[in-house]
Amino acid sequence: MSTSFLTRRHKHHRCLFSILAIIAVVSFSGTTGIRAQQRLSKRYPTGKNVRIELKNISGTITVESWNRDEIKLTATMESPSAHIVPRQIDQTLLVDVMADNRGRGDVGDVNFVLQVPVNSSVDLETRRGQINVSNIRATSVRAHVSSEGDIELSNITASQVIAQNTIGNIYFEGEFSRGGTYELKSNKGDITVRIPGDSAFRLIATSAKKISLGQFWNDRFKALSDGRRYIGDVGDGRSSVSVTTYSGTITFMRK
Amino acid sequence: MNCEKCEALIGDLLDGALNSRDELTLNSHLEECLNCASVRTDLDSILSFCRANRGQYSALPNDKALWLRIRNVIEASNADEPSREAVARPKSFLSSWMSRSWELSLPQLSASLAAIVLVVSLVTFVGLRRWDRNGPVVNPTGVGLRATNLNDRVWQQQQVINYWNQRIELNKARWNPTMRETFDRNMKVIDEQVSQSLNDLNLNPHDEVSEQMLNEALNDKLSLLKEFSDL
Repeated sequence: MSTSFLTRRHKHHRCLFSILAIIAVVSFSGTTGIRAQQRLSKRYPTGKNVRIELKNISGTITVESWNRDEIKLTATMESPSAHIVPRQIDQTLLVDVMADNRGRGDVGDVNFVLQVPVNSSVDLETRRGQINVSNIRATSVRAHVSSEGDIELSNITASQVIAQNTIGNIYFEGEFSRGGTYELKSNKGDITVRIPGDSAFRLIATSAKKISLGQFWNDRFKALSDGRRYIGDVGDGRSSVSVTTYSGTITFMRK
Repeated sequence: MNCEKCEALIGDLLDGALNSRDELTLNSHLEECLNCASVRTDLDSILSFCRANRGQYSALPNDKALWLRIRNVIEASNADEPSREAVARPKSFLSSWMSRSWELSLPQLSASLAAIVLVVSLVTFVGLRRWDRNGPVVNPTGVGLRATNLNDRVWQQQQVINYWNQRIELNKARWNPTMRETFDRNMKVIDEQVSQSLNDLNLNPHDEVSEQMLNEALNDKLSLLKEFSDL
């Protein structure tokens, strides 16, 4: 074997190693680029009564009240290609991830945290992901998860509450207002309602599994379809409550 | 002499073809009637113009014979008129009514429309009443009918669902794997719910809760498809 052959071979190895190193560096930097999360934080001065409309594709939405007449929106985006353009119209803040990213392909999870004045009506939608709303006193609260994701509504006082998902648990803790309507529905998930003991409402509860009304049970309740549905009044039945889960349990608890 | 006859004879007067008695009668009418006098003046000026410009078009070889032929044709058509009327007389009331030219004022048109609407409403109402009365007579139990309605409804809903399914299949390739799995998992849950409700309804066709569950499951499925088709 000649020396020149060995030298040439050594050169080839060095060249190959350099190419591999460059590929590795490029791949690594690309991966970190995709994984890097972007963060958006904005504040919007408002009055005391505001409305939030948020349409997300995927990710967690958290809405909580604070003692300021302004909205603080924080969004954490999994993909750098995600685009979010919140719009404020008078006392309403609109965020539509779907519309803002049409034609951009997959934008991954976008997680929102909104701090809002206590008297804020909220209308939240997502295709998948959890929705948490807490300490809100408003006209309406709507939480809609098209597919799967738990919904947790804590310390809510609103005359209209709608919470719906396909797979996932729903938890409501708050008060039923006189004349209010409350609709909680899941296709596969447990629903828990925690309300004051003196609550008065007309209930339609439907579950193929189990309905437990606890201390709210009384003889005026009528069982239909082998106990899959209960209809009846608690107190003077001044608000209307509909709770439905097809493959889950319904539990009423005293606050 | 009346104006109609006078107008018919004016042409002959200008041609000098009237006898003296008719000419006298006609002239006395023209002195009294301004309208007919005006017609005579107009026709006279047209004829004068034609005479003055006679050389500008090729003269007919035998104009007297031509006019004679035209007169014959007109007389022949006048002679046919009574026979045509005789043929038209046996026409039915409906055909004469249909061939009539309608000119309605706005109130008449409105009244006609209102009458049509009233008649159609009455017919519909009576028809529905009869349908309702006859329905249970055909099937006293109503179970078959109910089942048919249910199957029809499910079938109709299924057609809409198929449409949205096709749209989803087109877009699904663009979703990330997590979203695809989520969609499939949720669709499976709803499908199980649909089949469970159908089974319950087969066992107890009168179960309102099962029926409502089925309806809601189908609606949920449709909503899920629509919402994901936007992605």
